[in-house]
Amino acid sequence: MTRNPLRQWLAGVALCVAVLPGALADNIQDFGPQTFAQLKSQFAGKPFVVSLWSIDCAPCRVELDMLGKLKQDDASFPLVVISTDSIENREEAVDILQGHGLDGVATWMFADTFVERLRFSIDPMWYGELPRSYFFAPDHSFTAHSGILTAEKLAELFPY
Amino acid sequence: MPMSLTIFERICLGLLLLVPALSAPVQAQSCEALRAAQGQDLISVHCGGAPSAAFDADGHLWVAFVLDKHVYVSRSDDRGVSFSAPVQVNAEPEDAEFNGENRPKIVVAADGAVLLSWTTKTSNQFTGEIRFSRSVDGGRSFAMPRTVNDDGLHTGHRFDSMFLTPSGKLYLTWIDKRDMEATLARNEAYPGAAIYYTVSEDLGASFMPNVRVSHNSCECCRIAMAPHGQDNVAILWRQIFDEHIRDHAIAVLSPQGVVSELSRATVDDWHIDACPHHGPTMVPAAQDGQYHMSWFSAGNLHSGIHYARYDLATDTSANLIKVDGMPGAGHPSLAVHGDTLYLVWKGFDGTASLLQMMHSVDDGRSWSAPRTLMTTLQGSDHPLLITSPSGVFLSWSSEEHGYVFKELSND
Repeated sequence: MTRNPLRQWLAGVALCVAVLPGALADNIQDFGPQTFAQLKSQFAGKPFVVSLWSIDCAPCRVELDMLGKLKQDDASFPLVVISTDSIENREEAVDILQGHGLDGVATWMFADTFVERLRFSIDPMWYGELPRSYFFAPDHSFTAHSGILTAEKLAELFPY
Repeated sequence: MPMSLTIFERICLGLLLLVPALSAPVQAQSCEALRAAQGQDLISVHCGGAPSAAFDADGHLWVAFVLDKHVYVSRSDDRGVSFSAPVQVNAEPEDAEFNGENRPKIVVAADGAVLLSWTTKTSNQFTGEIRFSRSVDGGRSFAMPRTVNDDGLHTGHRFDSMFLTPSGKLYLTWIDKRDMEATLARNEAYPGAAIYYTVSEDLGASFMPNVRVSHNSCECCRIAMAPHGQDNVAILWRQIFDEHIRDHAIAVLSPQGVVSELSRATVDDWHIDACPHHGPTMVPAAQDGQYHMSWFSAGNLHSGIHYARYDLATDTSANLIKVDGMPGAGHPSLAVHGDTLYLVWKGFDGTASLLQMMHSVDDGRSWSAPRTLMTTLQGSDHPLLITSPSGVFLSWSSEEHGYVFKELSND
């Protein structure tokens, strides 16, 4: 099969047209009742960290700042950042994530008004306080932490 | 005769419309169903965000809610079965907050003045203004809202609470970050925020200068208010003790701006640098200077929703119990009517949200078993209890049931 540069170019343009609008919008995805189970299966056999935050939570900004630096140093760090705000407020969330260098990272926002069920899907023992973080071992046993997650605390709770 | 047939048809049509109204009590409806029937731009108490309610002296119910950057007020003359067309409070749209801990507050004075406060968000950096408006023409129109915090700073003034004393002193209290800003500007640490208040002696025509109640409060929990004598109020809020412990403090405020020394109302030992978004509730107990309190903590000593009766004279609490220790349980509301004390809160059983209630007829010394008032499989607001001379009522908004207002009985 001979390569046709024009055809390749057209295919490239078509791909850009298909993907760009989403990529330009933001990296925020819907967090629904099944999302956490799906995330866990994506990390099957692998350790990962979950950080929960909200627009209205001042201590969360300190944690987001640390996580933003962490991702800049190590883009492959297995981090799941979830905002407990309604995804209707995504513009505000993007603005804040941008300020902490996290706008390039895939993150999630609550996309179901039955927030009690979403919280339960993450952790039935969580009271809803923020920031809240989880440290999943490769076998997905986990420890939880309430309050600001510092780099030191992260190193202590996530030795991977 | 075509004419008589038309009348006959009209009568039949009228009868058809009447039958369901006579045969079944009118139920609250979901906003979704109402909008499907009446149009997507319907403004209704059933569609409003974070409603709160109050009775006036004549027993009419008034409900305030937020919709599309406006605060609205609607009146019910049949205890929440039907509501008047909502009246817009702020003509200019503003970012009035409406969530569990931030909602418009409404009080109706003895002379019929309808008094409202709310928090307007001014950025996504935790800034806001405490707003006030009132109607002196029976809720037909509202004055242009004014900002009550008097520092002129673009900083945090949020989580307002409002209380009108029996003697007509109108108190507003809120969480304020002016001292935090000033302290940080000196490169010094300032845990949390501060509590400020103001009083109006003329039902909101004017307010005295803002007064600080306390430094180092938690930043994001509603403040509970209750009467203390004729003119004063007691307030209960989440306070930061020893820089990291977020338990509760209580203080008495006077209309002259005098603040009592604060007392530690709960000792839960909750070490946390986080936002619980979970404020307390408080009503007066049988004896002067004693208060029924219910609150949430995830502390080392107390975890879950708790109840206790606090005595300001001795700075001690009595009859402390764990109300509900399930992690999904939260947002208690207390009310007292006659000899009966009611406590309502929201729980989650893994599938449904449950509204739970228990009551005490001996000033909180013993309690009934909890019972479930309502459940929902959709999103819902915190429950609130509203008291009138005739009883205690549940005020609750949910996607499934719309706005529900119903009398509680202790049987």
